Amino acid sequence: MKILVCIKQVPDLETRFKLNAAGDWFEEADVAFRMNEYDEFAVEEAVALKGKLGAETDVTILSIGPDRVKETIKKALAMGADRGAHIQDDEPHRKDPAQVAAMIAAYAKEKEFDLVFMGLQSQDRGSAQVGPLVALNLGFNLVTTVVGFEYDSGQVTARRELEGGLKAVVKTRAPAVITCQLGLNKPRYPTLPNIMKAKKKELLTIPAADLAPGDALNIVERAAPPERKGAGVVLEGDAAEVADKLIGMIREKTGLI
Amino acid sequence: MESTREIYWNVGREGLVDMYLLALATAGFIFLGMYRFWSRLAGNGKPVVRTDHIRARLAFMARNVLFQGKTIKTGGVGGLAHAFLFWGFCILTIGTTLVFIQDDFTDRLFGFKFLTGGFYLLFSLALDLGGLFAMLALIFLSIRRFIGLPEGYDTGFGDMLIHILLFLALFTGFMVEGARIAFTEYRSNMELAYWSPVGLFFAGMFDATWFHGILPSELPAIHKALWWIHLYICMAFLGVIGWTRLRHVIMIPANFIYADMEQNGKLVTLDLEDENAQQFGAAKVGDLLWKDLFDSGACVTCLRCQDHCPAHFTHKPLDPMQMVKDIGGSLSNGADTPLTELMSEDAVWSCLTCRLCQQVCPAQVEHVPKIIDIRRNLVLMEGKFPGDEVVRAMESIEISGNPLGYAPSLRGDWAEKLELSTENMDVLYFTGCYASYDRRNMKVARSFVSVLQKLGVKVGIMGKKEKCCGEPARKIGNEYLYQNMAKENIEAIHATGAKKILTTCPHCYFTLDKEYRDLGLDPAVEVEHHTTFLAALSDKFNSGNDPINVTYHDSCYMGRYSGVFDQPRALLASLGARVLEMEKNRELSFCCGGGGGRILAEEKLGIRVNNTRGLMALETEAEVLVSNCPFCMAMLEDGVATPKPVKKIRCVDLAEFLDERI
Repeated sequence: MKILVCIKQVPDLETRFKLNAAGDWFEEADVAFRMNEYDEFAVEEAVALKGKLGAETDVTILSIGPDRVKETIKKALAMGADRGAHIQDDEPHRKDPAQVAAMIAAYAKEKEFDLVFMGLQSQDRGSAQVGPLVALNLGFNLVTTVVGFEYDSGQVTARRELEGGLKAVVKTRAPAVITCQLGLNKPRYPTLPNIMKAKKKELLTIPAADLAPGDALNIVERAAPPERKGAGVVLEGDAAEVADKLIGMIREKTGLI
Repeated sequence: MESTREIYWNVGREGLVDMYLLALATAGFIFLGMYRFWSRLAGNGKPVVRTDHIRARLAFMARNVLFQGKTIKTGGVGGLAHAFLFWGFCILTIGTTLVFIQDDFTDRLFGFKFLTGGFYLLFSLALDLGGLFAMLALIFLSIRRFIGLPEGYDTGFGDMLIHILLFLALFTGFMVEGARIAFTEYRSNMELAYWSPVGLFFAGMFDATWFHGILPSELPAIHKALWWIHLYICMAFLGVIGWTRLRHVIMIPANFIYADMEQNGKLVTLDLEDENAQQFGAAKVGDLLWKDLFDSGACVTCLRCQDHCPAHFTHKPLDPMQMVKDIGGSLSNGADTPLTELMSEDAVWSCLTCRLCQQVCPAQVEHVPKIIDIRRNLVLMEGKFPGDEVVRAMESIEISGNPLGYAPSLRGDWAEKLELSTENMDVLYFTGCYASYDRRNMKVARSFVSVLQKLGVKVGIMGKKEKCCGEPARKIGNEYLYQNMAKENIEAIHATGAKKILTTCPHCYFTLDKEYRDLGLDPAVEVEHHTTFLAALSDKFNSGNDPINVTYHDSCYMGRYSGVFDQPRALLASLGARVLEMEKNRELSFCCGGGGGRILAEEKLGIRVNNTRGLMALETEAEVLVSNCPFCMAMLEDGVATPKPVKKIRCVDLAEFLDERI
């Protein structure tokens, strides 16, 4: 049994983003990066399945990006995956979802994966297209937005989230691509022995160009942060002071009082 | 005639062989009991050296045992009674030993007697008073234990036996003395008899009975019988030392000798690179240090730790005494019992590492390191935490360098408008996460910088190069994350070239100054908390201020961990503040609820620690609650706001109070 988990390294969303010099992405200096939250669910689900099915199950972690993404791959290895594939791409933000999916499919082709787990979407771009496109490219079955997952000798039973709080139970057969949604599981915290073991696990680097991503269909020309439209004001002090300040502001700005 | 008496009067030396054989048998019996007990403790547990600096250890033991300081400090009348019982028996033991030395050595070998003259008089009086104090203390303690029945005491047959034997030993001792005095001194040498007041009282009773049929001529036979009865009882009480709670007279001094002589509360730094290590932290009883197991043999289940523990006090499932007792109890099944079978995970997570248990323990038991070791297993081996919020905090420390999840690039923003030195700084201010990101504590940081600038001190910060010191992670059990943070900080600190670091956080202070040294922080880099730094400069501040009533909250890590109690109070006094003490203060201060990594965890069990402490602050009716820790600030500001009786108290940091008043 072979499982592929595709993960993405994304900026921490607490970052105060600034535009980069090219004006098409954010400035990456001083930004903290972490594993895309939805991808953590994907790693957890794969590792949990490996725990159930036993040691002959092999979990590969794939991530596209510059050298820094190796840290995130190591985290997934520390969670219990077996090996890592780092697709070296120094400007991953210039690839559109079709190119990303093409690279993943090129990597996965002929490796006979039974299941491909990935997050429903990334926290930075949020296109939610890579999963479906990978399934299309590989000719795999696809279940998106999964919040419950069971696997029994090739048979996938997944609960997916629909609009309006509805859930659907979907059955399909492997090979399949599963995109994971919040609520699927609680990602584990890596134990120290697993962190140590992860340092010695296979982590291959493959140049992005080797996987023939093709040309981008979708190019970001210019990005612009939303204009600041006035800031919130936090009033401080005890209740009486706050009330006085508030009355003062209402009086000053609206003339109502 | 010189004052003295005939040693072994009426008994004669012919009985001494029997006496010494009996003593030898008793010693064997004590040894057998102790061996059985000790062998159950020894041989298990991880190694740790506790026999180095043996002189300092012996001195530490002697100081603590002889003065009974920890027994008295939180023991109430019972503790004082124990001390008198102990001192009484010390005098009696010394007296008996002097008799032994004179009779078997100096007199027998050289014909030299020293129990004569003025020394003999003093000897007589001291022994009588020692016996009297011991007896009164024992009577009080017996009433307390068997009639007053304090709640929770673990009293068994052995305790009954100890109390009866001790009482009989003292009582028959006085009877023997009384019989001797009645025959040899009473009426005939009252001048001498007055130096044995209790013996004289008993002699008077013998004297009085002469009118009821006992003839003075029968007295030697009665005396002799009593002497032997007294001897047998003494041997019995000594004999049970190895078999009952009385073994504490050996175990507790031993436990003081084996005390952790490192800086108060500094944790053991694990070697995480050890390729052969299979286990980090303690999963089973045998994974603890041997000293942790030994502790369970020294514990006399006096309830002090349990009664003082802020977690137990606020109805959390943690009971430090029960933990120690259960570890000891489990040893009869070997050392493989999982620790989480002895205490719940909730109990393990409830500890605030405030160290009050260890402060009050008269047996020098080390509770906190056990809990940290158990936590280390849960975190490092099993990936378990007290809650999801703590997992998120761990990830935030890992990714953003602070548990609050803010962006690392914003770490220095609090100081944006301040003119901080980047070169030639006198001191490096290691700001810490809370003062860097938490709105309330940022004000403390700004006030502190303002005070430093008023003093003309050139201060700089590391800004985004500074990371969480790792303390909350370490106390939760995440030694790996702590060491990663520590190594990065140490490198960054060394890169600044700073020779002096100041902190406003006691957790940062203790971690940098004490624990970072294990990981390579240059010993030449001085680390100081703002409390002591500012207190040392108190004469520079103008003290012509209006008087104000304040109360001061001793943070665990400046107080118990670092021994800083007087300096902040002196500084406050020099600023015109009258310090009204809270119900629990100084060494016995009550944690705010934020220690032991609990600042990162939601408090879901029992009543809230911060409200409990907040109420104590409100009860002083002070205007201002002064603290010196960002965790305390966060917890107490909330703690004084929510209890029902809406009285008002303003929470400020020592630095803010100073800044306001100079």
